[in-house]
Amino acid sequence: MKTTLFASAAALALSAGMAPAQDLIFAPGDGAFNWDSFNAYADAAPDLSGQTVTVSGPWLSPEADRFDNLLAYFEQATGANATYTGSDSFEQQIVIDAEAGSSPNIAVFPQPGLAAVMARGGLLTPLGDDMASWVEQNYAAGSSWVDLGTYANAEGQDEFYGFFFNVNLKSLVWYVPENFEDAGYEVPQTMEELIALSDQIVAEGEAPWCIGLGSGAATGWPATDWVEDILLRTQPPEVYDGWVTNEIPFNDPRIVGAIETFGQFARNEGYVMGGAGTVATTDFRDSPSGLFASPPGCYMHRQASFIPAFFPDGTVVGEDADFFYFPSYESEELGNPVLGGGTLMGVTDPSEATTAFMEFLQTPFAHEIMMAQGGFLTPHSGVNLDAYATATEAGQGEILLGATTFRFDGSDLMPGAIGAGSFWTGMVDYVGGADAQAVADRIQQSWDALN
Amino acid sequence: MNPALQGLVTIIVGVGGCVAYFYFSNQILDKVLFPPRGPNAGRNINRAEAIRPWLFLFPAMAALGLYLAYPVFETIRLSVTDRDLGGAFVGGANYAQMFQEDKFWEAVRNNLLWLLVVPAMATAFGLLAAQLTDRIGWGNIAKSLIFMPMAISFVGAAVIFKLIYDARPEDVAQIGVLNAIYLQLGGDSPITWLTVPFWNNFFLMIVLIWIQTGFAMVILSAALRGIPEETVEAAIVDGANPFQIFFKIKVPQIAGTIVVVWTTITIVVLKVFDIVFAMTNGQWETQVLANYMYDKLFRSNDWGVGSASAMIIMLMVTPILVWNVYNARKEMR
Amino acid sequence: MDNIAGKKSSLTWVLHLSVLALVLLWIFPTVGLLVSSFRTTDQIRSSGWWAALFPAVQNETLRSADPDESRVLRDDGLYMVSGNLYVVDGAVDTPEDVVAEISVWGTSSRNIDAYVPGDTADLGDGETMTVEANGDYVWIGNDAQISGRGQRVFVTAESPPEFTLQNYRNVLFDPDNREGMTRAFFNTLTVTIPATIIPILIAAFAAYALAWMEFPGRALLIAAIVALLVVPLQLALIPLLSLHNSIGIGKGYLGVWLAHTGFGLPLAIYLLRNYMVALPRDIIECAKVDGATDFQIFTKIILPLSFPALASFAIFQFLWTWNDLLVAMVFLIDSSGETTVMTRQIVELLGTRGGDWEILATSAFVSIAVPLVVFFTMQRYLVRGLLAGSVK
Repeated sequence: MKTTLFASAAALALSAGMAPAQDLIFAPGDGAFNWDSFNAYADAAPDLSGQTVTVSGPWLSPEADRFDNLLAYFEQATGANATYTGSDSFEQQIVIDAEAGSSPNIAVFPQPGLAAVMARGGLLTPLGDDMASWVEQNYAAGSSWVDLGTYANAEGQDEFYGFFFNVNLKSLVWYVPENFEDAGYEVPQTMEELIALSDQIVAEGEAPWCIGLGSGAATGWPATDWVEDILLRTQPPEVYDGWVTNEIPFNDPRIVGAIETFGQFARNEGYVMGGAGTVATTDFRDSPSGLFASPPGCYMHRQASFIPAFFPDGTVVGEDADFFYFPSYESEELGNPVLGGGTLMGVTDPSEATTAFMEFLQTPFAHEIMMAQGGFLTPHSGVNLDAYATATEAGQGEILLGATTFRFDGSDLMPGAIGAGSFWTGMVDYVGGADAQAVADRIQQSWDALN
Repeated sequence: MNPALQGLVTIIVGVGGCVAYFYFSNQILDKVLFPPRGPNAGRNINRAEAIRPWLFLFPAMAALGLYLAYPVFETIRLSVTDRDLGGAFVGGANYAQMFQEDKFWEAVRNNLLWLLVVPAMATAFGLLAAQLTDRIGWGNIAKSLIFMPMAISFVGAAVIFKLIYDARPEDVAQIGVLNAIYLQLGGDSPITWLTVPFWNNFFLMIVLIWIQTGFAMVILSAALRGIPEETVEAAIVDGANPFQIFFKIKVPQIAGTIVVVWTTITIVVLKVFDIVFAMTNGQWETQVLANYMYDKLFRSNDWGVGSASAMIIMLMVTPILVWNVYNARKEMR
Repeated sequence: MDNIAGKKSSLTWVLHLSVLALVLLWIFPTVGLLVSSFRTTDQIRSSGWWAALFPAVQNETLRSADPDESRVLRDDGLYMVSGNLYVVDGAVDTPEDVVAEISVWGTSSRNIDAYVPGDTADLGDGETMTVEANGDYVWIGNDAQISGRGQRVFVTAESPPEFTLQNYRNVLFDPDNREGMTRAFFNTLTVTIPATIIPILIAAFAAYALAWMEFPGRALLIAAIVALLVVPLQLALIPLLSLHNSIGIGKGYLGVWLAHTGFGLPLAIYLLRNYMVALPRDIIECAKVDGATDFQIFTKIILPLSFPALASFAIFQFLWTWNDLLVAMVFLIDSSGETTVMTRQIVELLGTRGGDWEILATSAFVSIAVPLVVFFTMQRYLVRGLLAGSVK
């Protein structure tokens, strides 16, 4: 949840200066949009005049305004009336509403956990196998997205419920290109190169990394992203999936190995600006500041796509700071896994117009309209990357499309007491010098205590 | 409704309701139920007098009973039941589970540490400040400044001291005064004070000592002034030095007050929550019982263990409770 | 004699100095917060608050103007960009306004103190750059060199002390700031005032009954009040929250007012009873002889006479409810965050703005300003109350 919040904060930061919403934000034929897909949809769509689609979700302004802009095109194509309501306490509200039988047609979930709970309670309508196979074919790392949207229904059978719309990336390393130039460094393409570069920077008497886990009561969460990213790069995705559901225990040697690999970065005295001792206490919002210090305090910072919101004022992403994909090991042959999060749509109250709307969301056009307004990334492989509002987002979109595996932030999928509890504190203990095995044992213990 | 308006309405309704209750209940008692007239006038007056105290007491007793007495018993009940099992009686299972948790014992250890250090230090500093400021012209201003932290919330104090304990990377300027001094005195690298296990407890305690010293000072200063001049003068004539006068003459005479100050601060310490919650949230081995309880109740949603830990706090307060009641009764006789 | 007098005066000096040291030690933390709240982000990050009164030495990364827009072709065929680094940065409007003084500078992040002002840096292949102490620069090179982005210049400069009210403007008066304190301030006020007034009234009647009325069980009740004084309110959280939920109050102002009333009563009754019982018996007995009822005695005589005790409890309760975090979190604040109070807002900020000391310091100071004013104006009553009720 925490990260979702930051993601939206970042989206907010990126979107400053948007034009006010009009009836149709982009005139037909304009821009780098796939108008053909829109026209084809409009031609094929049934006439839905007089029908209504209600969507509710956690997006507030400005994301809500952008989504409203998209709804305008749907209204034009079908004649239906579509409305979106955003609420800060969406997650509490939707459950109450659904149980009271007054739910909207479509709910936008900030993470799969709640959608799974509602599917289990029989409060969601399956999207059907056609939709599932469409996602599998048209989304990069499609089967990952199908799996993330597939939950057990009230009878315990798996069905496809969640359609991902807007995702974010965590597997990014941020750096200052001009500092790389001054020092003559190249952007590493593999994990081996990344480690070699880190060692080279240490040898030249500088610190390669800025790492900070501080986040008040949530201290520790940045480390969980590290461990998840590393696990995806050292083990097949099945291990990750088993770990998230605790079929593979937390203290399994493969998991402990990932924690220790993280330790090679965070507990390595020379690797971290200020020394390994400062990792646990440096606030994660402060931690990238070393990149921009004079002289530079560090050269690289691994963090999700929201972090530019915390860069110094006036930092231009793409010029003053840029990112590269947190690379995978050349030797492991696990492809290019990507860690991230995203919002997904589920149908809470089916209708003809609702089905039409879900079909509308499959057009590249629907994604491009959102992309062009900023704060939106999509794994849809049919979109035109030029439609992205900024080169930065286009770059991130490209990483998403290049992904062979996509995995959702594991700590968000685990039970709260683990993913937002003992995993965090355990990581703090670990960077503080505790033994990885002991830490993993303790986390597993707290998981056992839940069952 | 606008909260400000709602607040205003509450004040009016609350205050008006209270006044109306007291006024009309007395009126009814005097005019309707037992009018001091007619054949039974004398008996009626006596009856009215017997009932009136309870009219005066009723709202307070109801509120106290509901908000403080009932929860004690309800908490005892909750601590031996399990909500997930529909509130079934589970005996000592919650306690047993709690006693198995490292975090609980860490909290108990830290609470004991707090109990040893904070009342002692706050009383000692308070005594020192009281003794010193009583003898100088601008003593009242000095007192008022030392007393000031009493007005600052624990949360505000937490921010103030987080700034003091702040640590920045080695090669940039320190903005936390403690690290600045530490480096000036020849320390090699800045220390993140709040993450050094065991010792970080003391850095949290300093916050409470800082707040409570003023309280101790005010009470002890009044007590010092109450010491009869003759006893001090007699000691001076006998050739006692200032230290002897202080420790041998003055301190014994205010021993009773020192105990009161000590126990009062002890109770504050047992309830300490905000400071730990805001500064470390119990991480890095700084857990205390009150925060442990909050964690259990509102994060893990485990009412059984949460209530059990609340009972432990209650248990630790009980000796003071008994002692206070004993003293209060002694005074009334 | 002289000797003794001399010793005495030196002792007095020691006394004064040690009190001064103690006072400084005690106000130092608060002063740090206050000073920090008037400093800019950059100042707070680059030096400790105690350095605020002295010129600060800062390392900054500045950049020349964009060559594609501002380069000029010189007679010798080279291109030139010139101007002032601080003006380009937007820190000042004209070179005359520059207050900082550059001591060393450099053009590579690996060598930021390569040159002193007035030096001409050789950037290779004939490209050169000159920077003066006030930030004036001249950058010369061929077509390819003077293109793309502006040249980065790393400067180490000394700037004079400076204070700002901007932090307060942001925290209090910026309607777009979702993390502002304005709403929380009014919420805190809304919690505090009823929660202070209502218990006083209820407690005053009870205290009078316990002090001046004879009835069986009085001693027992007083003992019970003393016992309840120390009951940790932690015990009350869950039972009362369930109670509030079951009778439909849920989370909200009503619940928090009731809770504060309940938790404040033991001290209120105890303080007021101790005070009332010490009032002269004659007054009350005279009034009784004159035929006054207890109700009249209470409202006409006891209440006005008890004003100091009422005031001291009011201050206690005000400080306690204003500064409270736990009760508000449990009984008031829901997930919408509409009813957040200042203490909670600050804890949130500690989480989300952990390193932004200008925001933290300003927000914290906004929340402690009111209690400090109350404290300094009403200290007399506070002390009296403490002396009367030092059992809590």
